[in-house]
Amino acid sequence: MKAEARLMPKQGLWLVPVVALIALSAPRMEFGRVGLAFASDASAPDIAGLARFWPPQIETRTDIANLPSLDPDRLPPFSRLETSTAPIRELDPDTLETTTRMSQRTWLVSPLGYLGDVALRMVETIEIGLWGTLLAVVAGLPLAFARSRAIGLPFALQISARLSCAALRALPELLVALLLVGAIGFGPTAGVLALGVHAAGFIGRFYADAFDDADQHPIEAIRATGAGRMSVFIVAVLPQVRASLASATLYILDRNVRMATVIGIVGAGGIGQELKGRIDLYEFGHATTIVIAIFIVVAILDEFAAHLRKRQSS
Amino acid sequence: MSGTGFSISVRDLSLRHGNGDVVLTGAAVEVAPGTICALLGASGSGKSSLLAALGGRLAPVAGQVLIGGRPMISRSRRRVQARIGTTYQDHRLVAQATVLDNVLAGLAPHVPWWRCATGRYAPAHLTRATDLLERLGLHAALHHRRAGSLSGGQAQRVGIARALVARPSLLLADEPIASLDPQTARDVLALIAREARESGATVVCALHQPELAATFADRILTLHEGAFRAGVEQPQRSAA
Ligand SMILES: Nc1ncnc2c1ncn2[C@@H]1O[C@H](COP(=O)(O)OP(=O)(O)OP(=O)(O)O)[C@@H](O)[C@H]1O
Ligand SMILES: [Mg+2]
Repeated sequence: MKAEARLMPKQGLWLVPVVALIALSAPRMEFGRVGLAFASDASAPDIAGLARFWPPQIETRTDIANLPSLDPDRLPPFSRLETSTAPIRELDPDTLETTTRMSQRTWLVSPLGYLGDVALRMVETIEIGLWGTLLAVVAGLPLAFARSRAIGLPFALQISARLSCAALRALPELLVALLLVGAIGFGPTAGVLALGVHAAGFIGRFYADAFDDADQHPIEAIRATGAGRMSVFIVAVLPQVRASLASATLYILDRNVRMATVIGIVGAGGIGQELKGRIDLYEFGHATTIVIAIFIVVAILDEFAAHLRKRQSS
Repeated sequence: MSGTGFSISVRDLSLRHGNGDVVLTGAAVEVAPGTICALLGASGSGKSSLLAALGGRLAPVAGQVLIGGRPMISRSRRRVQARIGTTYQDHRLVAQATVLDNVLAGLAPHVPWWRCATGRYAPAHLTRATDLLERLGLHAALHHRRAGSLSGGQAQRVGIARALVARPSLLLADEPIASLDPQTARDVLALIAREARESGATVVCALHQPELAATFADRILTLHEGAFRAGVEQPQRSAA
């Protein structure tokens, strides 16, 4: 009885921080905005509502005034010219009054042109992921050697490799990308370096763990033949860890391609950079196309990675 | 790679394991080059530990091990180790590598590492490896199997092939026939003896069968209570 009486209030205690959070913080979070997503006409120009994200934009249209070298008789394949008349308001320089006049503009329309643009950006994204992974392996492998107890380099080296790996992993890709964009400018180079630096910490750790988890008995047996470090590694360690190294590398590749879609948002190249640009221009249909493309690529990547893993384990 | 066998000098040797288990105290023995020794002793008497000390894998607490006149604790022991072949009680094969690669691993100190990496061994080395496997009763169909999928007796013989492939000057064999049937056991011991005679190698072979030891060995060493038991050596050198 006594114990129960003491327990009862204690059990309800977790409610206190939750109630405090709702009371104090909820107003500051402006949750009312969720409703704006479904508003048909958004009140402010910078709020789109979800409706403006539909339909996805897949064509490109370019004012031919901007294409002086275009020959109307020899258009690029699959494209057409479209003429539209639209009222434009302009300031009359003489009267200084705004007048409205009808203006005719001609557009070069490529019906699937934007899909092509997105595909190119997507290829760039995957390239960033691949290069980032290559960089991570090249930088991470020496770290793994230094870090591994089984390889047995001097203890001070093991400790410093351990610290380096942890430090590299602690640097979020997005942050490194942001700093690098500041340091070396927009574009995929910053993305590759950011992904590579972060993932090198992972590779260093995963590979070293694989070396250390290997059966040490055959390794000692080959070491006892007086063979050199490199030979011992190749003959006794590598066959044991090959599968783990492959799956760790695959994991990093998967992760890097996903990450590569995101880091463009800070200007580090790839599809993310395109997405950020379109949102900034209120071109929400384009944004939808990009998001769908990312979704498809990541889903395919998922399947591909699962397939490889299955093949490896069999 | 062939050469004369190593002499062995064990002087006042004391061994202790990491957990404090004292194994040998003041053991001493001299073995002439080319002698085939059987190492007998009850389970736990320190046979495996002695072999580890002879191979430079276990540092003595006191005393000395000289192989071919060189101390096995010196920095230069790797040169000596390259001429020692070792088989282990628990085989110690690389389970994920093939049978043939496990045997060729015994050549690791003698070939450049890139040959190990690419598998481009000299034809003479390859024939030596496959020939040894054949003579140990492991036929071609097995050579490309993963070592981890072998039976105990098959793995044991792969370990013997690995130890012999580089024609060592000293063979340290830890119960090399423990997992074999009696007939195969006799064949394997005969093969080891013949290899040793051909290259003049010295052999120290831990065994549990005194009767096999008598026919196989030139000399019998018995470990008892941390030292070599005196007076039971038989100088019966077989004519073969
Ligand atoms: N790695 C080790 N760590 C701690 N103690 C060990 C180790 N290896 C062996 N020992 C101990 O050292 C003693 C001698 O062991 P050893 O393996 O040399 O005997 P053995 O004569 O080879 O026995 P067996 O015939 O059973 O193989 C034993 O008491 C054993 O418990
Ligand atoms: Mg033993």
